[in-house]
Amino acid sequence: MVNKQGQTRLAKYFAEFLTTDERRALEGEVVRKCLSRTDKQCSFYEHRQYKIVYRRYASLFFMIGVDDDENELAVLEFIHCFVEVLDKHFGQVCELDIMNEPEMVHYILDEMLLNGQIVDTNKANILEPVQLLEQVTT
Amino acid sequence: MASLREKIAQGLKTGPKFLKEFREFDNLVKAIGECKSKAEEDRIITQELELLKQRLSDPKLDRSRGKEYMIRLIYCEMLGHDASFSYVKALQFASDPNIHTKKAAYLALTQFLDCNNQLVLLLVNTLLSDMKSDNYLIVCTALVATTKLIGADLVNAVYPVVVERLRHPKEHVRKKAVLALHWFASLDPRRDGPLAGVELDKHFRTMLCDKDPSVMSAALCALHDCIKADPRPYKNLIPSFTSILKQVSEHRLPKSYDYHRFPAPFIQIKLLKILAALGAGDRASSENMAAVLHQALRRANTSHTIGSAIIYECVRTITTIYPNPALLAAAAESISAFLRSPSHNLRYVGIDALAGITALNPAAAAEHQVAVLDCLEDPDDTLKLKTLELLYKMTKANNIQVIVDKMMGYLATCPDEHIRRDIVRKVSDLAERYAPSPSWFVSTISEVFRLGGEHVDDGAAHRLTALIAEQDAELHGSAVEAYLALLDGEGGAGAGGQQAGGPRKKLPETILLVICWVLGEYGHLARRPPAAVLSRLLGVLTAHKSATDRVRATLLSALTKLAAHTGGAAGPVGTALLQPHSSGGSSPGSDAAAFVHACANSQNLDLQQRAHELQALLGCPPSLLAAALPADAARQSFSAAELAEVAALPFLDSMVERALAAGAAPYLTPEARGKATELQAKGLRFEAYEPAPFAVPLSGASTSYGTAAAADARSGPSSSGPSGSAASTYSSAAPAEPQLVLKGAGGRRSL
Repeated sequence: MVNKQGQTRLAKYFAEFLTTDERRALEGEVVRKCLSRTDKQCSFYEHRQYKIVYRRYASLFFMIGVDDDENELAVLEFIHCFVEVLDKHFGQVCELDIMNEPEMVHYILDEMLLNGQIVDTNKANILEPVQLLEQVTT
Repeated sequence: MASLREKIAQGLKTGPKFLKEFREFDNLVKAIGECKSKAEEDRIITQELELLKQRLSDPKLDRSRGKEYMIRLIYCEMLGHDASFSYVKALQFASDPNIHTKKAAYLALTQFLDCNNQLVLLLVNTLLSDMKSDNYLIVCTALVATTKLIGADLVNAVYPVVVERLRHPKEHVRKKAVLALHWFASLDPRRDGPLAGVELDKHFRTMLCDKDPSVMSAALCALHDCIKADPRPYKNLIPSFTSILKQVSEHRLPKSYDYHRFPAPFIQIKLLKILAALGAGDRASSENMAAVLHQALRRANTSHTIGSAIIYECVRTITTIYPNPALLAAAAESISAFLRSPSHNLRYVGIDALAGITALNPAAAAEHQVAVLDCLEDPDDTLKLKTLELLYKMTKANNIQVIVDKMMGYLATCPDEHIRRDIVRKVSDLAERYAPSPSWFVSTISEVFRLGGEHVDDGAAHRLTALIAEQDAELHGSAVEAYLALLDGEGGAGAGGQQAGGPRKKLPETILLVICWVLGEYGHLARRPPAAVLSRLLGVLTAHKSATDRVRATLLSALTKLAAHTGGAAGPVGTALLQPHSSGGSSPGSDAAAFVHACANSQNLDLQQRAHELQALLGCPPSLLAAALPADAARQSFSAAELAEVAALPFLDSMVERALAAGAAPYLTPEARGKATELQAKGLRFEAYEPAPFAVPLSGASTSYGTAAAADARSGPSSSGPSGSAASTYSSAAPAEPQLVLKGAGGRRSL
């Protein structure tokens, strides 16, 4: 997740392990390309051996890198599903929420994506453990 | 945000420091958000890391802030700064009883480490105890960590507990346990490592029938990978999959699984992918699936993108399994709908699906020609690339020229390396399969080499030269002219500075090699005089100062052949090459001779050999030269037996016998040689070295020092011949002066 100025808000990796420098380089390339695309273009493009599917919500860009045989439209909708879940949890989610509680966003993502596969998109299922966690006092 | 207020209220009771510390993370994020330059961001993060390092190494560490520290560390690493000092601390926090700290620590560990990292070993015990915890949230967290951190060597430690968790009452736990097993399966795909003999897919099949749909969905993910690897054992599951898909598309899952009124679309898509893998090439299975595919296709509609996603996946499945006319017709209709839509995304998807269907039904593509051409001209790169892919699949002998033209046009302008490699590969492939005529092939491949030569492998260059060799003189002539023109273009742009056409790119090495070879073999067919060809060839050297030795070697051979074919030593090229080195002046002849001389003395053995061959051959009588380098001999091919015969060098046998009879040592193969030296050099020596014959005995300790030093210097570098002998000659020169021996030896020891 990146904002309009290209500042990374959240990053999660599933495939090969990249070192911090490699991640930074990859993220820089992807973000630059993404921010320079217009509305009239496809929401996906090819980068190295991946396809990047992205979607913009107000000031935040959500980008997912997938391999070639993935259904791009499905990934696009997965991004939207994820945003809807975040919305339900935070109530009118905005960039500030993500900045202040990044661990919650990670936990939610862990319920939906594992091993790089879409496991569950049922909002009730996803939010149940997360809400339980919030009720536990620190 | 009630919990936040409570937190603040609680914290305020602990004292005034609380508010300052509480806002530390917020301040950090805000500061990063507001900073204007990378340098400033780096400075802030480095400060933060210093602060954290201090706090974490402090024995009076406040463990209740563990979660906050973990998050700050994750943040710093995300922005590209190394926080490895904290990994061990994160391991400690992972065993903290507080669930927030524990979860944050696990999260940090999965971000920082991977399954190859040594530190994971320290985590295994914590993971195991967490997986057996009563609190299902903790079990879930441990399972998630397992999917990221456990590698092949630790699998067996965790495997039994994970399998236990498959029967946990909570569906969240079961879901994650299935995926942990999926991860293990991918660590050992052929089950011949740590998981040998384990029947993982039995577990997956059981979980497929789990009563909770989310667990079933997890099992689908795992099974999909197993099926992709080898579909045959899973064909008996086709009825289960089809019935699940049927039920899902009929809205039989709980309402909470709906997404924008579409029933569990992601599960549907997963099932469609599985069915595609199972039905490919198998007529019987495909017929079993037909009904449910029809239904899925019918029930989805394009009112929402997710509906289009389902349709797209259906179409992909239909084109992958055994062809079924009714389904294909339905798929074609959907594709038309996609291509007509104004949305770029849908057109992209349409083109992709069209590429799939073209193989089965070429007429389909023809119908949509207009739409396809529109996409090709579209300014969006992604769409253009996809259309090029479609064209690649559609290429036949009658349209190859147009399509290759389009692809080359794209290649000339595209900067992305990956895409260029792809296009080069596609064009070479197409050209080899459908080339209408050899001359077209030669010109196209040369163009490919010129634009994308760095991605072409040597095999392609060899095939091109072999092809050229087989052709007749007319092709040779035209090839020569074409390549000379290429060299002209390069040389002209280089010498003439700014030209109207702008600076030309340097020719890549592959085409240089081909050009040199062709000009060498057939340069005598060029229309311009041989001396001009020679100067063009040498121009290659000046234009490519960093030409590798391979290019130089090929150039040398080319010069030799050119000289041989244009009149031998007496012809214009021959005289130019044989001019004595000392002549000054900048005529092309002396350049050539200088080049040959330089190569004759070069370090590279190959170059030396070729240069000497050139000089020797040109010194031979013309008949010998003609026999050695006949014109147009490249098309002659030798059988393997002939080559083997020649390689044994039978004509030298008599010479070898004479030498052996005169007492020369027989040839030792490198293996035999190696064994002899190996026995000497292996292992430590336990016997003392022979005393040095030259060292003059001095009193006491200095004697042993001197002898040891001299002996070391002598026997140490025995493997490097020249330096060893230099050392021994040095020490042998010194014995008259005892003082000097010590000093000299000491000096050498420090070398």
